Amino acid sequence: MELFDSFLQQLWIAREALWHGFMLTVGISVASIVFGTLLGCVVALQLTYAPLLLRLPFRIYVDLMRGTPVLVLILASFYIPAVIGLSLSATEAGILALSLFAGAHIGELGRGALQAIPPGQIEAGRSIGLTFPKLLAYVLVPQALRAALPPWINTGVELIKGSSLLSIIGVGELLLKTQEIIGRNFMTIEFYVFAGVLYLIVNIALDQFGKSVERRMSAR
Amino acid sequence: MAAAPLLSIRGLTKQFDKLEVLKGVDLALAPREVVSIIGSSGSGKTTLLRCVNLLEEFQGGEIVLDGEAIGYRTVGGKRRRLGDRELSRQRAMTGMVFQSFNLFPHLSALGNVMLGLRKVRRLGRDEARAIAETWLDRVGLATRGDHYPSQLSGGQQQRVAIARALAMNPKLVLLDEVTSALDPELVQEVLNTVKSIADDGATLLIVTHEMRFARDVSSRVVFMEQGQIAEDGPPAEIFGAPRNPRLAEFLRNTRT
Repeated sequence: MELFDSFLQQLWIAREALWHGFMLTVGISVASIVFGTLLGCVVALQLTYAPLLLRLPFRIYVDLMRGTPVLVLILASFYIPAVIGLSLSATEAGILALSLFAGAHIGELGRGALQAIPPGQIEAGRSIGLTFPKLLAYVLVPQALRAALPPWINTGVELIKGSSLLSIIGVGELLLKTQEIIGRNFMTIEFYVFAGVLYLIVNIALDQFGKSVERRMSAR
Repeated sequence: MAAAPLLSIRGLTKQFDKLEVLKGVDLALAPREVVSIIGSSGSGKTTLLRCVNLLEEFQGGEIVLDGEAIGYRTVGGKRRRLGDRELSRQRAMTGMVFQSFNLFPHLSALGNVMLGLRKVRRLGRDEARAIAETWLDRVGLATRGDHYPSQLSGGQQQRVAIARALAMNPKLVLLDEVTSALDPELVQEVLNTVKSIADDGATLLIVTHEMRFARDVSSRVVFMEQGQIAEDGPPAEIFGAPRNPRLAEFLRNTRT
């Protein structure tokens, strides 16, 4: 009990650092999901509908991102801009890396969802006179969203977990803050477990959110 | 045919790579005419319909609908496919009903019928809804408006698809083997629906394997054979006194 009391005491002392780390983790994840999704939508459309020549650069981008470890992407985003004279903060570089990573994955899963729609849907939309943008907006995208939602939630979970890698380049997110706190009080197990539980809670919450949206969609 | 033709197809040719599917088809439809196309599979019937709805490109000849050449424009001696916007406008002039219904699964029956009215004809919600409800009632599904396609039988889905096509008030309705994907006991309700819109004066071009239906509903029947029209005449003649030996053979083989 005494051990637990002293953990609570240390937790209280570290509360602000932990809170900032946690909020930074959430902020970086949300930003990466938003940017990654925007990028992913463009990539998905290009991969699915663009003619070969326009499609090629997107294909290369996606394969490059998917074939590279996230940690390598993070290090590259941190060092390469500096070399070419762009100054990005560690946090900005981290968001850049995670967004590029997410954009490729979301682009690929969006392509899968769009291509899974039966061709008869396109023909039916065409036959009532929908132009391509309207066909996309009212027929294809609504159907693709349903198929893409579960893997999109998965990508979100991957991003939240992946954000812990930003500790390597000195972004003061949850993991780095936890390590700093452990460096002061040496309560290694306690604080790593605590950080692990926080990641778990956020991921489970996101997962449940996805499941509830999915249920509501399939209710029809 | 005294009236100016609503649809006029002249010398239509179509190739898939090296395979010649349509080898110079000539066909004209007067307003309010109901024409059925029969023939064995691979004869080019469905491809012909799909060319009229611009779902397929074609390499030669022309299709004129209500005085307007559709699908292509000749600029400086070069034949060019029209752009998305023009093709879409021309597609809206015809309605198409598909073998596999192709209803939008994420929209209710009413939503399926309303989509074109709202987004293509740009009607307000209330007006679109009123037209859609009238058409669902017309195909006998007034009480099914808020059902989703997955909650409807095949026959009901196909009737919604007919309502979706007709609500757009097309000049010409194309029906592509609309009963081929249906369970036998659901075929009649769909055929009755088609019959009743034909009786109301719609211009229909029908591809069908239902010989009895073709005989009952059509003002003219066309027999296609290897990408060409082999015989064209009133149903009594086509079914009663076929001149083309291949048509006679086809009819013997399909007689039930």
